Amino acid sequence: MQATIGAEIRLDALTKSYGDNLVLPGLDATLGAGEFTVILGPSGCGKSTLLNLLAGLERVTSGRILMNGREVQGLAPRDRGVAMVFQNYALYPHMTVAENIGYALKIAGVPRAERDRRIAEAARTVALGDYLTRRPGELSGGQRQRVAIARAIVREPSVMLFDEPLSNLDAQLRHGTRMELAALHRRIGASSIFVTHDQVEAMTLADRILILNKGRIEQFDTPEAIYRRPASTFVAGFIGAPPMNLLDAIAESGRVRLASGTVLAGTGANGPVTLGIRPETIHLNDVGEPVVVDYVEDLGGHHVLAAHLEDGQSLRIVTPPDRRPEPGERLHVSFAGASVHLFDAITGRRLADPAPIRSEGVPA
Amino acid sequence: MSGDIVEDTRGIDRTASIVLALGLLFILGPLVFTLITASQSYDSFVRSGISPVPGTHLIENIRRLFTTTAIPAQVVNSFIVALMVAAFKCALAFVTAFGLVFFRVHYAGIVFAVLMGTVLLPLDLRVVTTYQVVSNVAMPVNGLLNATGINAMIAAFFGAPVDLQLNLLDSYPGIVLPALATGTGVFMMRQFFRTLPGDLVKAAQMDGAGWFRFMIDIALPLARTNLTALFILMFLGGWTMYLWPLLASSTPAMQTAVVGLARLSPQGDGQVPDYPLIMAGAVVVSILPLLMIAFLQRFIVRGLTLTEK
Ligand SMILES: Nc1ncnc2c1ncn2[C@@H]1O[C@H](COP(=O)(O)OP(=O)(O)OP(=O)(O)O)[C@@H](O)[C@H]1O
Ligand SMILES: [Mg+2]
Repeated sequence: MQATIGAEIRLDALTKSYGDNLVLPGLDATLGAGEFTVILGPSGCGKSTLLNLLAGLERVTSGRILMNGREVQGLAPRDRGVAMVFQNYALYPHMTVAENIGYALKIAGVPRAERDRRIAEAARTVALGDYLTRRPGELSGGQRQRVAIARAIVREPSVMLFDEPLSNLDAQLRHGTRMELAALHRRIGASSIFVTHDQVEAMTLADRILILNKGRIEQFDTPEAIYRRPASTFVAGFIGAPPMNLLDAIAESGRVRLASGTVLAGTGANGPVTLGIRPETIHLNDVGEPVVVDYVEDLGGHHVLAAHLEDGQSLRIVTPPDRRPEPGERLHVSFAGASVHLFDAITGRRLADPAPIRSEGVPA
Repeated sequence: MSGDIVEDTRGIDRTASIVLALGLLFILGPLVFTLITASQSYDSFVRSGISPVPGTHLIENIRRLFTTTAIPAQVVNSFIVALMVAAFKCALAFVTAFGLVFFRVHYAGIVFAVLMGTVLLPLDLRVVTTYQVVSNVAMPVNGLLNATGINAMIAAFFGAPVDLQLNLLDSYPGIVLPALATGTGVFMMRQFFRTLPGDLVKAAQMDGAGWFRFMIDIALPLARTNLTALFILMFLGGWTMYLWPLLASSTPAMQTAVVGLARLSPQGDGQVPDYPLIMAGAVVVSILPLLMIAFLQRFIVRGLTLTEK
C-alpha cells in the first residue's frame, strides 16, 4: 500500500449535544500528523460521538475541527479524506468482498482498471487476496474485519477512524489483529484514531492515549506517562490490571498516614488526600499493616488478592505464585518501596509526587 | 418433506392427527367439491345436484368458459389490474418507508400513524366517496373553487362557473388508483428497513454514497426478498378485489375476472345456474394467478439479481 500523508487534527472548543444532553462539553486537543491516538473511556463517555464528529456523520454543535489547518466541520464525510472501520464491520451483505472494498472508488468514478488494481492491492495488504469473490456472509468474523479495514485503506485516507473494531473478535484473533493494525498503521502513514475501552489495546497500540470521562479529556499523553503519572484518580483507576489501589489517607507534618497511623509516604501536602498504590508494588511481610483476604484469583503467573484493611478500605495485592493465601486469612503487607501517587481527595487531581518510604514506617 | 410431517405427527399423538385431519377436511372440502362440480356436465348437475364423484366434463366446461363467456378478456383485465396494483404499491411502499426510516423526518411517527390509519379504513368502507371522486377526479378542485368564492367571481365575469370534468370510471387507472391508498406495504417495508444496522448507512456515507445511491445500490438489493413477497401479496390482493372493481366498471369489457365470475350466475329468471361452468371458472380464475406468481417470482428474483452486479 502506498504511504499517504497523515493529517494533523486540531479540535478547537468542540462541543456536541443531543437536545439537552451535552455529550461533549468542549474539547481542545491536537492530534499529531501520522500519530496513532487511542481514545479510551467508559461506556457512554462520548467516544463514538467524537469519532462521528471527526468523520462528518454527526454535525458539531459548536467549535471547529481542523485537519492540516483546514476547517472540515462543515464538509461531507467524503470530502474530508477520512475513512472509518465500524465495530460491527457494516459490510454490504449483498456485495462481494471486491465490491465492498471498491464501492467508494466506484462512486468516486475511478476507472475500472485502476479500481481493480487498488482493490487487489488493498486486499493483499490485509491478506484477503483469495477471497475477493466471496460475500461477507461466507467469511469468518476476523476476515470480515479485514474487509472492513481494506475498504477503509483503499481510499488512501489521511485519517483512519476505528470504533472498537476488535471487540467482536475472540482473544487470540484480537491479539493478532492488534499487531497487524500497528504494522499497517506504520506502513500507510495515515493518522489513526482508535476508540476502545480495552486498556490493553490502548497501551499496546497508542502513540498517545486520550482518556475521556463524561465528554472531558482527563489526560492525553503517552501510554508510559499515563501509567506512570496518572493525572487523576479516574485515570489511575482506569489503567492497569488490576487497577491502582486508591486509599483515603491524611497528609500532615510531612507524612501521609492511613487512619490506623501507618505511614505510607512522605509529602509536603496537608489535609485529606487519596493515595494511589499499584497492586504489584505491595509486598507481603510479617509485621506490616494487617489485612484480611476476601478472595483470591489465581492467574497462573501470579495471584491477585482482594483484601480489606482494618478500617474497611479495600485493597488489591499482586502476589507471587509460590504461596496461595486463603480467603479469610490474615496477612501483613508492607508499602516499603511501593510506587505511590497522591491525589486531591476532593477534585481527584494529581498532587506533587510523594516520597516512597524505604522501610516500614520511615519516610525517605 | 410431507413424509416427515406425517411420520412426526404419527409419533406424537393421536389427537393431533385427528385435529389435523379435521382441519384438512375443513380447508380442502370446499376445494374438492369445486373441482368435482367443475367436472360435471350441466345436464347431470341439473338432474342429480352436487355429486360425490368426479365427472368427465372438466375440459369441456373450461372450453365453454373460454368460448361462450367474457372471462378470457376479463382475465387479461385482472392481470393488468393486479400487476399495476402490485407494482405501484411496491414502489410506493419502498420509497415511503425509505424516507420514513432513513431521513430525519419531523413527526415521522405521526406520518406513520396516519399511514397506518388507512389500514383501518379499507377501500370497501370508503366506496361511496371514492366512487364520487373517481367519477369526476376534478371534483375536489370544483369544490375548492366554489367554497372560496372564486367560482362566483368567474361566473360573474365569464357568465358561467368553472366545472371541470374528468371521469375515470371504466378505466384501468380508475380501478387501480384508489386501491393503492393503503399503508400495509409501507408498514412491511418500514419494519424491514429498521432491521438494517445503522452503521450500514454510515459506512455508505463514508464511501461517499448520497441517499439516492444508498437507496439504489444498497437498500433496494437488500429489500429484494421482502419486495418480492410484498409484490406477490399485493398481486393476489389486486386479483381478488371484488367490491371496488364491481362498482368502478360497468361494462363486461372492463370488469375483472372475479367480478365476471360472479356475473356468470343468471340473475332472477328461475333457471338453475350453470354451476359446473361457474366452478370451472372458479378453478381457472384461482389457478391462473398462482401460475403467474410461480413465473413472476423467478423473473423478479433474477431481474433484481442482475441489477445487483
Ligand atoms: N444519536 C443520538 N441521539 C441522542 N443521544 C445520543 C446519540 N448518540 C449518542 N448519544 C448519547 O451520547 C452519549 C455518548 O454516546 P457515545 O455513543 O459517544 O458513547 P461511547 O463512549 O461510544 O460509549 P460505548 O463505549 O458504549 O460505545 C450517551 O449518553 C448517548 O446516550
Ligand atoms: Mg461507542
